Amino acid sequence: MHGTYGAGPFGRGLAWATALYLLLPILIVVPVALTDQRYLSLPKDGISLRHFETVLTSPEWLGSIWQSFTIAIAASALSVVAGTLCAIGCWRVSRRSTDIVRVLMLLPLIIPSIVYAIGLYRYFGPLGLLDRFLGVVIAHGVTGIPYVVITVSTALATFDPRLEQAARGMGASLFQTLRWVILPRIMPGIFSGAIFAFIHSWDELVMVLFIASRDVFTLPRRIWDGINENLDPAMAAVAVLLIVFTLSLLLADRALRRRSEAG
Amino acid sequence: MSALAGHALALRGLTKRYGAFTAVDDVSLEVAQGQFLTLLGPSGSGKTTILMAVAGFVAPSAGTVLLDGGDITPLPPEKRDFGMVFQGYALFPHMSVADNVAFPLRVRGMSRADRDAKVRAALDLVQLQKFTDRLPRQLSGGQQQRVALARALVFDPKLLLLDEPLSALDKKLRAELQEELKALHRRIGRTFVNVTHDQEEALSLSDTIAILNHGKLVQIGDPNGLYERPRTRFVADFLGKSNFLEGTVRTRMAEGFLLEAGPVQLRVHGAGPAEGTRALLSLRPEKLALLAEGETADNVVEGTIRAWSYLGAGSSLVVATEHLGEIRAVLPAWKSSIDPAEGLRVRLGWAADAAVPVEEDAA
Repeated sequence: MHGTYGAGPFGRGLAWATALYLLLPILIVVPVALTDQRYLSLPKDGISLRHFETVLTSPEWLGSIWQSFTIAIAASALSVVAGTLCAIGCWRVSRRSTDIVRVLMLLPLIIPSIVYAIGLYRYFGPLGLLDRFLGVVIAHGVTGIPYVVITVSTALATFDPRLEQAARGMGASLFQTLRWVILPRIMPGIFSGAIFAFIHSWDELVMVLFIASRDVFTLPRRIWDGINENLDPAMAAVAVLLIVFTLSLLLADRALRRRSEAG
Repeated sequence: MSALAGHALALRGLTKRYGAFTAVDDVSLEVAQGQFLTLLGPSGSGKTTILMAVAGFVAPSAGTVLLDGGDITPLPPEKRDFGMVFQGYALFPHMSVADNVAFPLRVRGMSRADRDAKVRAALDLVQLQKFTDRLPRQLSGGQQQRVALARALVFDPKLLLLDEPLSALDKKLRAELQEELKALHRRIGRTFVNVTHDQEEALSLSDTIAILNHGKLVQIGDPNGLYERPRTRFVADFLGKSNFLEGTVRTRMAEGFLLEAGPVQLRVHGAGPAEGTRALLSLRPEKLALLAEGETADNVVEGTIRAWSYLGAGSSLVVATEHLGEIRAVLPAWKSSIDPAEGLRVRLGWAADAAVPVEEDAA
C-alpha cells in the first residue's frame, strides 16, 4: 500500500502462514492427481496423466459429471428466477415485513445443511421426489436462493429509484420497466448470483447423501464414495478438474463485475 | 414538434399527510394553458410533494388534480402522459442518448422509423444532434439536462414537470440554461410546472409563482406582483431580501398613512391596516437611497454603518439606526457618493410608496 507503513515481520509471517494454510490443501491434490502410483500418493518415479485418462473415459465419472452439471444448471436457473423476483419484490415494496422476508430467504445459509437434509428426506418421501433429478434440483435450487437474493439486493441498493419513477412517468408499464430499465442495470448482480448458486449445487454433498441413492449420483457423491471404498487417485484428478472449473467460473464473475464497474 | 396548445392544470384542496405530518395542506391553484408555473419554497415546504402528486407518484390524502377540468387524481403516472425532468435527470445510464430519448416512444410501441424521426426532432430542439450515440456519463451536466428535457418532450406530453431542473449545475451554466428553458417554453407553448427553491430562477422563468411554506400556499401571482406586493413577511423575505419596519398606524391620509415607530413617523402610501393597529412594513434594500447633504426624501433616517460589503455592481450596507433597528441598503456602486466605512454616519431616504405593509406570518 502506498504511503503507509508495512507490516512487521510477525504480521507478515502470520499472513503468509494463513495464506498457505488456505491454499495448501487445495494445491496438494495437483501432484496427487499426477501420481504414477495406483493409490492416493505423491508421484514416485515420474508424473503421469493416466488418472485423468481414467476419469475422462470412465462412463461412471462422466455420467456423474454430466448429472452434476445438468442439476447445477437447472438448480441455478430456479435460484435465479426465484431469488431475483424476491429481491426485486422486497426492494419495491420495502416495508418492515419485506426485511423479514429477506431474512427468511437467508435461512438456508444459516441453518446447517444436515438439518435441512433431514427435513427434505422426510418431506420428499411421500412426494416421490427421493432419488429423482427433480428432487435434487428443487433441493439445490431452493438452498441456492440466498446467494441470488444477496447479490441482486446488493445490485438494487445502488439502483437509483428515480430511474424506475422516470420510466413509469414516461408511460412504461411495470413489465416494460422491469425489462428495459431494472433488469439491465442489475444483470451483473443476477449473473454473480447465478454463478454462486451454480457452485453451491455443483459441490453440494450432504443433501444429496440423504435424498439421492442410485439413480442420481452426482460428482461430489461419487468422490465421497470413492474415498470410502477405494483410494483411487482418479478422485484427485476429478478434484483438480473441479478446481479448474470453479476457478474459471469465479474469474468469469470477476471479469464481468469489472466490466460493469467500468461501464 | 407540432405547436400544440398546452393544457390547463388545476389543484383543488390538495392535501397529503404522512401520519401526523401534513406535507401539503389544502392547496388550490390553477395554471392556464401554456403557462409557466413555478412552485417556490424552502425545503420541506411541500413543493416537491405537490409536483409528485401532479405526476401521479404520490396519492393525495384529499383533494383533486384536474387536467382541462377532468379529474385525473386516480390515474397512475404511466397513464397521465406528462413529461418530467427529474432532479439529477434520472437518465438511463445503460442507454445511449438516442435510446434515452426514444424510451417514451418505445413503451408506446411506436415503429422504429417514426421513433427515429421524433428523436431527431427532439434532439434538434435542445441542440444535441451530435451526441446521439454517447452514454449519459460521457456528457456534461448541462448536456445531460438537455437530454432529460428532450426525453420529457419527445412524446408531446400534456404537461412538462420539472423537479429542480437546474439545481445540479454551476451558477453560470444555470443562468444560461434558464434562458434556454424560457425560450423553449415560448417556442413550444406547452404548460410547464417547475419546482425550485431558487428565487432568482423562479423570478426569471415563470409566468406565475406559487410560494409555499409548511405545506401551505402562501401567495400566488406573477413575479413582479409578488416581488413588489408581498402579502406576508415570509414572502417578502423569501423572494428577494427585505427590511422589516414595525410600528403603529396613526394618521390615515388620502394616499396612505403614517406609521409611528417610537418617535419616528414614516409616510407610507397605499391602503394599510386600520388606525391604531400594529403594522409591519417590508422595505426592499435597493429602494433606499443614500442622501447627500441637504437632500431630502419622504422618509429619512440617520444611522452608522455597522458592516458593508462590495458586490461589484453595488455595495450592501448594514446601517444601525436608533429607532428602526438595523437597515440593509443596496446602493449602485457607480453612483455612490461615499466610500463606505464602518462607523460612518449616513442618512438614508426612501419614497412613501417604497415600503409596503405585509402581514405577520401565521404561526
